[in-house]
Amino acid sequence: MKSKSKTLKFVVIIVLIALTIVYLLPIYVMVTNSLKTLPEITQRTYLALPNQPQIKNFTSALFGSKEFLIPMARPILNSAIITVSVTFLAVFFGSLGGYYLSRTKSTFTRVIFVLVGIALYMPYQAVIIPLTTITAKIGLINSHLGLILCYMIINIPLAAVLMGTFFLGVPRELEEAAEVDGSSKIQTFFRIVIPISIPAYASVAIIIFTQVWNEFFIALTLVTPKTQTVQVAMAMTEGSTISPYNLQMAASLLTVSVPLLAFLFLGRYFIRGVLAGALKG
Amino acid sequence: MIATKTLKARRPRRKGISISEFLVFTLPLLLFLLILYGTLIWNFYMSMVNWVSTAPDYTFTGLKWYTYLFHQNRFLVDVQNNLKWLILGVVPTTVAAIFLAYLLELAPIKGVESYVRTLILYPVAMSFVVTGTVWSWLYQPEKGVFNTILASLGIDSPFTYTNDPKTATYWLIVIFIWQYLGFAVIIIQSSFRTTELQEMVESATVDGASKIRILFSVIIPNIRSGILILVSLLLINSLKVFDIVWIVTRGGPGIATDVLATNMIVTAYDQRLASAGAAIGVIIFLIAFILVIPYTIYALKKWFE
Repeated sequence: MKSKSKTLKFVVIIVLIALTIVYLLPIYVMVTNSLKTLPEITQRTYLALPNQPQIKNFTSALFGSKEFLIPMARPILNSAIITVSVTFLAVFFGSLGGYYLSRTKSTFTRVIFVLVGIALYMPYQAVIIPLTTITAKIGLINSHLGLILCYMIINIPLAAVLMGTFFLGVPRELEEAAEVDGSSKIQTFFRIVIPISIPAYASVAIIIFTQVWNEFFIALTLVTPKTQTVQVAMAMTEGSTISPYNLQMAASLLTVSVPLLAFLFLGRYFIRGVLAGALKG
Repeated sequence: MIATKTLKARRPRRKGISISEFLVFTLPLLLFLLILYGTLIWNFYMSMVNWVSTAPDYTFTGLKWYTYLFHQNRFLVDVQNNLKWLILGVVPTTVAAIFLAYLLELAPIKGVESYVRTLILYPVAMSFVVTGTVWSWLYQPEKGVFNTILASLGIDSPFTYTNDPKTATYWLIVIFIWQYLGFAVIIIQSSFRTTELQEMVESATVDGASKIRILFSVIIPNIRSGILILVSLLLINSLKVFDIVWIVTRGGPGIATDVLATNMIVTAYDQRLASAGAAIGVIIFLIAFILVIPYTIYALKKWFE
């Protein structure tokens, strides 16, 4: 599709500069203001650079201070526990289901596929009230397990479709050869399919990790102070007028740092996962 | 190990799958699907009973809460706002993504592709809670970044962004577009890159068709499935939009930016009208269901072809 036109190249450069400004501005605001003192923020423009970078803002945001009553350390730990558990469980169980969906073509498979497909797009709003009732009733409201289970309900179908999509592309000859040698379907799956699908597992894990880490709606309705997730804590810093602006920005950076680092370092897997989810499922 | 395996009786089991194998593969998935659809049905039932406080009350009331909602001014505002989200969250994003992807495809600058990808895709890794927080700094009328920039250019900004009830929803939608544009570009870009399409574009170029003509009569008709997927994803995400509104305006000023999802939280958890909240949940589900039908049919065909 390449073109050699000079004007076109010029247009592209203009567009790239515009995009760079629009996409770096929020990050710039977040980073610079998280390093300022409070008077620097209130007395000068948000765009000014900090005089002396206040690294201690981050320790205050993490562990709290006189002015900042929402220390982020505990919520970060909560989110880490919940997100890592959901990612492992959902990817593992989802891939089992996805393998079945990719290897059978019965009417039953089609029915499951449709149910899974709708589940992928299920708005949380349609199930949240019964979910709160159930978690309260079985006494999970104060533990991480309640949130973990709720997230798995949506993320297992997602993992099933994403992993199934990858499995569709795995050549069956390998599996058939193993089965001729007497390996059962389950052995084949664990010994042959999983090892060659590790990159796929990585992609799906990153997608689910990011999604669960960033989830706010279910977290807001289900958390208690003990299980407060990072997004809910972050929303409280936004909502309260007393929280100092510089620490609010430091807390924002802490909140995004985990998935953002994953994105920057494992971007290849991330993009592949996004595309698999979008294009083939 | 392989040797012991071959000693066993050779049983080629290509098609057959035993019950225990079936259970290992599907049980966890089926179990969670059961919970999901169980709660969905339960929620539907809850919307037709008289649960109005913390204590459950299963007295059947039929469609009472749906009529209650349809007569509520706030609900009607929500529907209008959700409609704005559905149209303006999806159409501009898709159109911009197609043009941007085409432009980058036409005049690729060496080494720039991965830069652009990282630049516009990183918001996908951010939560709307954080994006919303930062954008409220950009939008703030007196000291906000946008008005500061406009002032430094000598423009006395007329915008108060999300503080203006008339336009607040549109400014919120801008945040959504910012967040999803990169994602949209990536999807469109990868649907450009099939060999069939590349060949068609080549031969159209040889025939002397203009760039714009090629875009509209060769490329767009041939990336329909990519567009369908993108549009479905954006539709669902703009339908269930909650975080941006909750963080930036909490539905305000007044109820100017309220949407179904925020109304639902207020109704079910602040006003304790569990049944009315469930009814809003049902309505959101039904709209979502209708919106993903084309996509589901497409996916089903593609998967089992």
